[in-house]
Amino acid sequence: MNTSTRNPVRFTRILAAGFVISMIATGCALKPVYPEGSAEVRSKLDRLRSDPELAGQAPIETREAEAAVVVAEQSIGTNYELGEHRVFIADRKVAIAMARARTGYVLDQRAGLSQARDAARSKSALAQAEAEKRVDDASRSTAKMQQQIDLLEAEATARGQVLTLGNTLFATGRSDMKSIATSSLDKLVVFLNDFPDRNVTLEGHTDDVGSVALNQTLSRHRADAVKSYLVTRGIQDRRITAKGIGMDQPIADNLTSSGRQQNRRVEVIIDNPPSAIPATSKL
Amino acid sequence: VSEINRNYRFPATAALAGAMLLVAACASVPTESLNEAKLAIEAAERADASEYANAELDEARQTLMAAERAVVEKNMVLASHYAEQSTVTAELAIARTEAVKAQAVNAELERGVEALIEEIQRTGNLQ
Repeated sequence: MNTSTRNPVRFTRILAAGFVISMIATGCALKPVYPEGSAEVRSKLDRLRSDPELAGQAPIETREAEAAVVVAEQSIGTNYELGEHRVFIADRKVAIAMARARTGYVLDQRAGLSQARDAARSKSALAQAEAEKRVDDASRSTAKMQQQIDLLEAEATARGQVLTLGNTLFATGRSDMKSIATSSLDKLVVFLNDFPDRNVTLEGHTDDVGSVALNQTLSRHRADAVKSYLVTRGIQDRRITAKGIGMDQPIADNLTSSGRQQNRRVEVIIDNPPSAIPATSKL
Repeated sequence: VSEINRNYRFPATAALAGAMLLVAACASVPTESLNEAKLAIEAAERADASEYANAELDEARQTLMAAERAVVEKNMVLASHYAEQSTVTAELAIARTEAVKAQAVNAELERGVEALIEEIQRTGNLQ
């Protein structure tokens, strides 16, 4: 009796439960499955938090990502689709936090870069100014040299600037200088002091009075006389080369006394510098 | 009989409550979520995400379309999920766009600094 009345009730209960389950199954499936991928999302978030460059860069987004990961992890027992959905949302929130943290890091770096750029800019401006100054100095020094060469009344030749110390410098047969010549030599001293990289060659010449051998020696003595004068004025010995040419290169007629006087001379050759002359090579 | 009735009443109530819950959860169109997704996609478009994070922007658009299809199919839970996924994906597109843009500015700065240093060296060598 008892069992006969209970059985239909139990059957009805089962029917009712079955109806609810089938409704749920068609509406929102309710399968208690642990959400796949939540562990991966958690480890992604942990990586962000332990990244020395990114940790702490996007605190708000990181907190939101944390909350989303917790929701995803607590989806055990909810339906599969909901769990999957929550893992998806959590994954994206972690990715957003990462991108925001990256942006924050990049903006931090930018401050340093801007400083480096500003420093480089002022350094560049300084270098530019220095370079301009060097060009200016070089052209000023070139101009100055030209001015002094002009003062020496030297003649430009392939060998260098040639300055002839003639005119009453030496008497026939003598190598001691007349004081009148020293004013043009003093200009040479100024020039050699101002341009320490320029050396000189002194070439002594004679008229044709006397023997070849005598004139050879005499020409050398004349060159030496000029050299010792320059040395007494403080020009280094090694910058001066003295040569005796003799009587073979007259510049005037030896038949007249004025011609012979012109031939009694020392030619000062300001040697071209070993490198290009600044006067002819512009920067 | 009274005992039988009592036993029967509980599952009936449970079924009714369950059905009501389902109606509340599933039946209405998730208008707010859909609007939010649309706004997020528009914001991403304005942020030039098509240039810097096109894959994410495209995914956000596809997911919004899936949400709208789910609405047509009367699967409102799925529609709501898709709408939320579309929103978060559009937000990711914006975040990645901004990261790439910021990085590009830094790279430009770096190049500028390098060019300046090179220039300084060139100027310095010009003796």
